[in-house]
Amino acid sequence: MVGKKTAGGKTAATEMARRKPPFENGRNGYIINLDDDERHFIRRLVGEVRELLTSMPVGDPKMARLFPPAYTHSTGEDADAETEYQRLMRDELVASRLDSIGRIDELLADTSSSTMSGEQLNAFVVSLNSVRLILGTILDITDEDDDEDDDPDSPLAAEMAMYHFLSWLLDSAVTALMQG
Amino acid sequence: MTLVAAAPSTVVRPEVDESTSLDNPWIVLVWNDPINLMSYVTFVFQKLFGYSLEKATALMLDVHEKGKAVVSSGSREKAEMDVYRLHEHGLWATMQKDGGQKDGGRKDGGD
Repeated sequence: MVGKKTAGGKTAATEMARRKPPFENGRNGYIINLDDDERHFIRRLVGEVRELLTSMPVGDPKMARLFPPAYTHSTGEDADAETEYQRLMRDELVASRLDSIGRIDELLADTSSSTMSGEQLNAFVVSLNSVRLILGTILDITDEDDDEDDDPDSPLAAEMAMYHFLSWLLDSAVTALMQG
Repeated sequence: MTLVAAAPSTVVRPEVDESTSLDNPWIVLVWNDPINLMSYVTFVFQKLFGYSLEKATALMLDVHEKGKAVVSSGSREKAEMDVYRLHEHGLWATMQKDGGQKDGGRKDGGD
């Protein structure tokens, strides 16, 4: 897992430290400190996840982290149970994720919205995490220090920057939710 | 085994405490992964299982340091629902029959 200290590249981290946290506890829900560009960017990313969820063939490696196996062992009865789980639950998982994405997309599309309910922030957190799981898979992050390795000349430098940005957003959202 | 052979022909099913492994034949494990944030994993354990911050943090650290932790146990149906909810939140969770762990993971997160 990735600790807080790794959430953010060097220049991005300085930029992020300078501003207000993206989510804060307020008297009437959770305050959203995101500008229009950031809202647009997040909507674009979750929109891409929606596309992948609705069009990707089962078994696409990019999506593997969103649909892990349910049984530790893949032999005997457990293998049959696994097949049954995937048959029954995969569509449920897709539907649940599309529902979360739909909710936050609607909220962010309304640029006058300045607060979120706990339910909305929960949907936000789950959707952001889906994006991170897909990006992390594309970036082939396989050990915990991988995301500290910021090579600006890497062909995936832009994806890595997105990944850092999402880590920072997610951490802020989770912190706000855990504080009440 | 002699104990089995000596069993009476009319068996009265004993009252079994809910915490015994007979009633909790399945365990749910969460495995370490390099993508999920530590804060997020702690948050999910609290949200899904109602664990205290201390317990959720201890379980998260077990996952992080030991590679996995048992986060819940129960009937097959309960374990499957817990696995589903963990998958819904993007965690790498699997279930197995209790006793199937050859390398002895910690049960129920310790308290």
